[in-house]
Amino acid sequence: MPIATRVRLMQPVLRASDISKSFGAVHALEKARLTVERGEIHALLGANGCGKSTLCKIIAGTVGRDAGEVLIDGEPAALGSPHLAEEQGVALFYQELSLVPQLSVGENIFLGREPHTALGFTDRTAIVRETEALIARVAPVAGKGFVPDARVSDLSPDQRQLAEILKVLARKPKIIIFDEATATLDRRQVEVFFDILRELRADGVSSIFISHRMDEVFAIADRITVMRNGQTVAEFAASETDRYAVVYAMVGETGAIAASVRDHKPLEDTTRLVVEGVKAARLGPVSFTARRGEILGLGGLQGQGQKALLSGLFGAEPFLAGHVSLDGVDVTARRPADVMAHRIAYVSGDRARDSALPGRSIFENTAIASLVRERRHVIPGALFRERFAEVLAGLNTRYAGLDAPIGSLSGGNQQKVFISRWLSPAPGLLLLDDPTKGIDLGTKGDFYLLARKLADEGATVIIYSSEDSELLSLCDRVLVLNGGAVTADLSGDRLTPFELTQASYGDAA
Amino acid sequence: MIGLGKLGGRTWVVTAAALAVLLVANVILQHNFLEPSVIQSNLTTFLPLVLVAIGQTYVILGGDIDLSVGAIVALVNVVTVTVIAGLGGDGTAVVLGLLVGMGVGIGCGLINGLIIAGLRFQPIVTTFATSIVFSGLALWVLPQAGLPVPEPYWRTYAGTIVGIPTVYVIYFVAFLIATFLAARPFMTRLKAVGGQRAAAFQTGLNLGRLRVSAFALSGLFGAFASLCLTGETASGDPLMGQSLAMSAISAVVLGGTALAGGVGGALGSVLGAWVVGMIGSVIFFAGLPFEYQTLVQGLIILAALAGGVLVTRR
Repeated sequence: MPIATRVRLMQPVLRASDISKSFGAVHALEKARLTVERGEIHALLGANGCGKSTLCKIIAGTVGRDAGEVLIDGEPAALGSPHLAEEQGVALFYQELSLVPQLSVGENIFLGREPHTALGFTDRTAIVRETEALIARVAPVAGKGFVPDARVSDLSPDQRQLAEILKVLARKPKIIIFDEATATLDRRQVEVFFDILRELRADGVSSIFISHRMDEVFAIADRITVMRNGQTVAEFAASETDRYAVVYAMVGETGAIAASVRDHKPLEDTTRLVVEGVKAARLGPVSFTARRGEILGLGGLQGQGQKALLSGLFGAEPFLAGHVSLDGVDVTARRPADVMAHRIAYVSGDRARDSALPGRSIFENTAIASLVRERRHVIPGALFRERFAEVLAGLNTRYAGLDAPIGSLSGGNQQKVFISRWLSPAPGLLLLDDPTKGIDLGTKGDFYLLARKLADEGATVIIYSSEDSELLSLCDRVLVLNGGAVTADLSGDRLTPFELTQASYGDAA
Repeated sequence: MIGLGKLGGRTWVVTAAALAVLLVANVILQHNFLEPSVIQSNLTTFLPLVLVAIGQTYVILGGDIDLSVGAIVALVNVVTVTVIAGLGGDGTAVVLGLLVGMGVGIGCGLINGLIIAGLRFQPIVTTFATSIVFSGLALWVLPQAGLPVPEPYWRTYAGTIVGIPTVYVIYFVAFLIATFLAARPFMTRLKAVGGQRAAAFQTGLNLGRLRVSAFALSGLFGAFASLCLTGETASGDPLMGQSLAMSAISAVVLGGTALAGGVGGALGSVLGAWVVGMIGSVIFFAGLPFEYQTLVQGLIILAALAGGVLVTRR
């Protein structure tokens, strides 16, 4: 073996040191560092806005750095654009998807690197063939219609995420950054994804893995780097540490983490919400009731009708049949404006699609629901500003000012803004559609406490979550959906991980 | 029926149906409509719009729009006739004139593209502004209509090349170019730029180069259209082709290309351009008073667009 090669093999594949980056007055990164060895799975953890996404974007070439050095295989790396980074073997899996919905799966996977014939024409046969080979790697969990020629806009969210993963794999990089790659995947899909990560590791490919699910981190990571406030604060070998130590490093203090918010005063026995025989394209008929002050979870594998139920209740995608009443008043929705007057609120985990008014200010993003509900034609600026500044302060939101654009906030803080929309006046029925997707542990904690507080004040909360632990720690009762039907109603002693898993997998497994 | 799927969404189904209806209407109104000479004369009339629509397709696929093609058509026309006249009007002069004309078209497209992609200006405002500039240049080059082109130019255009009518040869070449481009990676990348620009950037595509190329293609096809119009009118006219930009956008949308970008193809636009053209001839041969023609044409295009949108939405 030549000396040069041997030296290169001893180097870590990636060494980023003293990286600093400011956006205006905000210091996103201050002398952050990250070292990744060849063929390891490295978890990068930290609370919202700690700078881990920015660090990853710098390594992947989508954001420039102000100071610091990035070495790849011991050589200084030029990372001026995503294209340059890719040439040096870095690929980033995007939390906000990088797929073009109008193109097919195959076209997306090979976009920019299309196989072509000797004459320079796109080799469609090769695209289909190679895409099929990639899809075969996730075949057991790919689901219906996941074929090379399928349009991405026709895929379900989890299939899109799988396509995104395959797109990264197709580039055969030596360093892959997976930023929240498992956010929309269900457990079986996560298992397959982890198998792929292990195969990559065996081939000497390094993965940087960002996740807010601790179970996943300890299941897959070899080493863990923790960031806080733009700095790297701790580095662990996963086998020599535990969850407590990692969380401690992330938040700086352990008191901030609410292990469970389920212990609280007993429920009043007042039925508030009555849902009778509602049906949608792949749902129902479903009937259930929920009490005042109850947090009702919707569990089960992904795509079993939970989202359809929530968006039907809100009127975003109206039910085809059935009735809904709240406090005895008929609130069967044909469009969201119908139910907003009844203090029914909806917060989606798909912030970019369902919640954000992109490019508009925090104030506008907060005030929008009140403008609709109160049928305002002129915005009462001063009144609303005061109202929402108060609400946002109560949510522990960090922002530069109400006039800052919504995009200047991190995902978790954005979600707080979207929730604050509905808090004045407090909602009677709060519908939460995987609301903590891709947001950090600290914000999740705030969020659970808020949901509990609203319930204690009399609201009924219905939450769908792709994380079972969230349902288990938050909910009084969980309805498990399978194939569009409620197959289990778990509460009290029966609300355990074992029961939930068993009911979820039911026939679908 | 391979290839039809490549025409884009489902809008082209409506457009094809509209085309069939218009064909029947034309046959009823114009008894000699299906005679080869009449077909050729109609296709000759539609050719400039077809060419401009093909070029516009690439710009729209990339998520932009080009309102300046009409002005490019006029500028290419006056430059070409001036160059031909200036060089003495012989065969070499004609060839050089054609080449300079195409160069002017590409140049105008490059200017549009560089301002929009390079300086990040709004395409709709920028091309509106450059259309005024191009029109102004055309008036500066040739203040008044006139300056005939030499006879061989328009004779060849109206005549044949190796026994095939020249117009059909141009259709064939345009079709070849469109098919050639459709089979290149360029097309997929352009659709990605128009479909989801952030995703295209994150994937490492060179957005600027792709968008500039699309504008250059629009300029080139505008030049082709201008040279054809010059073959018809046989003279220079600084006000030529003013309505072409808008008609071409209608044609592109009728052909199934989404105005938002990302979906569609040039062959659909050819269908769309024929529909727009045939609507004109139906109205003409139905004997409607001239003052109603534009109004009715607008309403029919609106109806056809609505039909396409309704089909796509389902």
